Parts: sequence; C-alpha cells; structure tokens
Amino acid sequence: MFADGLFMLFAVLAVLGAAGLVLFRHPMNGAMSFVITLISLAGLYALLSAKLIFALQLIVYAGAIMSLIVFIIMFLNIQPEDLPKEEGKLLNILGALIIVAPIGYFLVKIVNRLPNATTELLGNNFGGVKPVGLLLFKDWLVPFEIVSILLLVSLMGALLLAGKKKEVSK
Amino acid sequence: MTNDLMLLLPLIIVGVGAIALMLASAYKIINNTSAALGSALVFAVAFLVQLSFCLKGNAVLFSDTFNGILVANTFSKGAGLVILACGLFTSLSSQTYFKQNDFCSPEYYSLTVFAASGMLLLTMTQELISAFVALEIMSLAIYILVGYNRKNVVAAEAVLKYLMLGAFAGAFLTMGTAFVYGQTGTTQFAKIGQYIAANGFTQSPAIIGGAFFILVAFLFKAAAFPFHAWVIDVYDGASMPITGYMATGLKTAIFAVFANFLVADAQLHAGWITFLFYVSVLTMFAGNLIAIGQYSLKRMLAASGIVHSGYLLIALVAVSTEAFSGAVIAYYLAAYAAGTLGIFSALSYLSGKDEKRVTFDDFKGLAKVRPYSAAAISIFLLSMAGIPPTAGFMGKFYIITSAIDAGQVTLAVLGIISSVISMWYYLRLIINMYFYEAEESFADTVPSSLASACTFALAFCVFAISLYPLAI
Repeated sequence: MFADGLFMLFAVLAVLGAAGLVLFRHPMNGAMSFVITLISLAGLYALLSAKLIFALQLIVYAGAIMSLIVFIIMFLNIQPEDLPKEEGKLLNILGALIIVAPIGYFLVKIVNRLPNATTELLGNNFGGVKPVGLLLFKDWLVPFEIVSILLLVSLMGALLLAGKKKEVSK
Repeated sequence: MTNDLMLLLPLIIVGVGAIALMLASAYKIINNTSAALGSALVFAVAFLVQLSFCLKGNAVLFSDTFNGILVANTFSKGAGLVILACGLFTSLSSQTYFKQNDFCSPEYYSLTVFAASGMLLLTMTQELISAFVALEIMSLAIYILVGYNRKNVVAAEAVLKYLMLGAFAGAFLTMGTAFVYGQTGTTQFAKIGQYIAANGFTQSPAIIGGAFFILVAFLFKAAAFPFHAWVIDVYDGASMPITGYMATGLKTAIFAVFANFLVADAQLHAGWITFLFYVSVLTMFAGNLIAIGQYSLKRMLAASGIVHSGYLLIALVAVSTEAFSGAVIAYYLAAYAAGTLGIFSALSYLSGKDEKRVTFDDFKGLAKVRPYSAAAISIFLLSMAGIPPTAGFMGKFYIITSAIDAGQVTLAVLGIISSVISMWYYLRLIINMYFYEAEESFADTVPSSLASACTFALAFCVFAISLYPLAI
C-alpha cells in the first residue's frame, strides 16, 4: 500500500510538473517545473525496480540536460518585458481542455482495461546494468544502433541551424 | 547470411556515404558541386545494388542478431528503389538550383543522404520502436533541409511549424506504441498480428486506441485530411529540390511503413477500412479544393500532393492482407515520384534567382521561349492528372481496379471524380505556358545543367514506367 501511495504521489507530481511547463510564463519557471516531472518519473522507474533507468534518468535528464537548459535560459537573460503577451490564455486553455476531454476519457477507458494491471515485481536482478545491457544488445540491437544516426543528424542540425554562419563558398 | 548482407547493402552504402559526406564537408577542398556529385554517386551506386538483386521474395535480415526487426520483401525493395531514385534526382537538381541561390554548404547533400537512410530503414522495419527512430531520422534531416536558408523568413516559419507539428505526430506514435505493447507485450508487426488473430481486434480497447494513435501519426506525415494543414506552408517555405524530395521520397517511406503495419493482420486492416475510406475521400476532395484556389505553383503542387495521398489511401483500403505485395502502391509511388520530381527539377532551373518565378502567371508563354522545358512540364502535369499513355494513368488505373476488386466501387468512382477535378489546376499551367505570348525571355535560367538533364530523363521515365505494367 505504501508503494501505491508513492505511485499516486509521483504520478500527480509528474502531471503537475508537465502542466506547469506549459503554463508558466517565464521559461525559467517552466524549466524548474519540468525538473519536477523528470524527478517524479525517476521515482516511477524506481517503483518498477528499474535501477539503471532510475539512475540514468536522474543523472542524464534531471542532472545534465536540465542544468544545460537552465544555463542557456540564464545565459539569454530573459526579462519579463521580453516575453510575448499572452492574451486570452485562459480562454484558450479552457477551449483546448473541452476539445481534449473526450480523448482523455477514451484514454482512461483504455488504461483501465489493460491486462496485467497487477503484477509482482520481477526478482533476479531485473533492471540492473547487466540485464538491461543484455536486452539492449540482444533483443533491441537495431533500434539501439540506429539511434546513433539520429543523434548524428540532430547534432548536424544544431550546428547548421544555430551555429555561426560560414562564408558561402562559390 | 551473405544474402542478408547483400540485401542490407543499399542501406549500408547510403549510411556510410552520408557519414563520409559529412566528414568530407569539413574540408575546404570539397565545394558544393563535388558534394552534390558525391551524394549523387552514393545514390546511384545504392540504386544499382538494390536493382541488381531479384526483387521477388521475402527475407528476414539476420533474424538472430536483429531479432526479426528488419525485413526485405518485394514491397520494401521496390519502395527502396523509388527512394534512392528520388535522392539521386534531388541531389542533381539541387546542384543547379544552388547556382542561383546561395545558401548552400556541402552538409546539405550529406543531410539528403541521411534522410534517405532513414527512409530506407522505414521501408524495411517491421517493428514499432525502430519505425519511430527511423521516422525521426528522416524527419529531423528533412526539418533541417527545410530551414536551410536561414535568411528566409518563410523558411523559418515553415521549419517551426513542421517541427512542432511533427513532434506531436511523433508523440502520438510513441503513445500508440505504448498501448499496443501494453496489450500485446510486443512491438513487432508479425507478433501483433498473431495476437490479434488469436484474441480478436475489437476485444481489446488498447489495441484499437494504440492503432488509432499510430495511424494518426502516419496520416499526419502523409498529409492526409484532417492533418494536411501544415503541408502548404512547409512546402512553400522549403527550397524547390527539397519540396520535391519531401513530396516523393518521404511519402514513399511513410506509405511503405503504413502498409506494412496495416497488413499485420486481416482483422486490424478490416477494422480500419471504414475510417480510411472517409479519410481518403476527404483527403482527395479537400486537396482538390485547396489546389484550385492557389496562385503559387509550389502551393498548388503541395495541395496536389494531398490529393495523391488520397489516391494512395484508396490503395491501402483495397490492399489484401493475405497475399500482400504492395505492387499497386509501389507502382503508383514510382509514377507519382517521376512526375513530381520532374516538375520540381524543371522549376529548380526555371524559377531563377531566389525563386522569383513562383506563380502561374510567371510561366506565361514558356513554350515560346523554352519549348522543350514546357513540353517536359506538360508531360509531368498530364502524368499527374492521369492522362494515357503516361505512368500516372497506369498508376491510377491499377489503384481504381484494385479498389473495384476489393468491392470498394464507391471509392473507385469518387477517385475518378477527384481525378477529373484535378485536371482544372494541372491544365491551367499548360494553358498558361502554351496559349499566351511570352512576357519575358527566361534568359537568366541556367542553360544546360544537371537539373534540365534530370527533367528530360524523368520525362522519359514517365513513359518508361507506363510501359512496364504490373502482373496483377
């Protein structure tokens, strides 16, 4: 029952953090709110006894990536007057909620009817480095390898779209 | 084992070629022209390697190591050929295009090849997570190519719109995958099919919901109604050759994975027939309505791309899950790609500096000044409209007959009506080119170039493809 309580806590925090990311006006508040989501997700992974993913989530996402994002936001030094005016924000949110509500209802129905809703935690060092590594390099080799192309392309994209413009060579 | 390696070779060539081009573009000695020729060489070699194997037969590539994720079947090989040809013609016409537009750097060609590697993966993959990664490889490379001209505000708007909406589509695909995995415990198409065959499609809401979200993501990328709104602006903002590439190569890859997913099980396909029926009808007519109202040639072609997605959806409705070969879809994609790429490579050398000729009126009297180019453009337009003896006619013919064979007579009739409506905007350009006096001399266009060579080669292809009928 303690685990159930923790699950509810983390799930609610994750959703609230994500909502905050969208709703806060200043990017810094949004980023801080997103940190909450990432840490709650790490908590959810820990509840599933996915040790490695839990650690990676904290170190890579909540740690490295978020500190970079916060650093960039601070670097840009955004003042309240730099932000765009958001008129009729409440009305927009309300309208969007009404449109999305049926889909949300549909999703709740789906999730409630998923099989294996109550399962025992797997023992046998599930979620440790070795089992995850074996799974990644045996069953999921193709997606794992092609992700490297994806990262390469996004790296090039960041350089080309945001990097310093080279002199055009004719 | 060796056979598997050979079947994987086009993908390996394209991947290695992309990385080599990326590294090479760091050196000063590589200029835009040599990068263009390099990427064209990569595409040409990969195309010939793909062509040199027998197209028939299915093979699960390295079924132990890759765990059955990559499959090379007749359909994926055919779609791969179309994609590689699209890449080849895009690289060559880009070379001419960038003689008059100066925002190119050698990395542009490397990204074109990277996008093709994502597309090839997408045609071969039989698993949802790999499909997601491959889709993102393709999309990310295309986003960058769309926004390549950083000084152009329209391009910046296009890339922002595409990136945001594309991220939504990616999120839907992930969500759908999660639901399907939650119900079936697998993400492989074949095993999902087995699960549905054993337990029934309508018995589990998670599969219905999951498949719905996955379909939404594919329909978004294929620019089907009601997810077509982004297409016009994005195609308008991208440079000419990239617009052609997006309209052909990207669409081929998406329809390949779409068809592969749908034929996983007969019940899965049957469950979505009504939905796809309405989507395809609305896509055809919404696309036609949008295309009729356009003054810009590029926007008209974008809208006509929506209509062609509608025809391809007819083929998806009519596809048979038992003996799936995808021949009709691959044939139509090849025919459509020849026509569309042809017109975009013609526009690459005719549109002039900074794409100053973009509207219908700008091409008035082209036939008087450049008779051969005008004739080639007319051939492409007639092929897209579906006039015999072009490839477009044969493609539409196969789609309509397959729809009638599958008992979808209403859909076939609506397809023919939509095809008649589409004459309006295709013939409009032909009339503008032939029945007006020339207002300008088109003197600033590059006279003999790779893009014009591509145009005439593709005009030949339009007829050649129509002479290569399918054995249905």
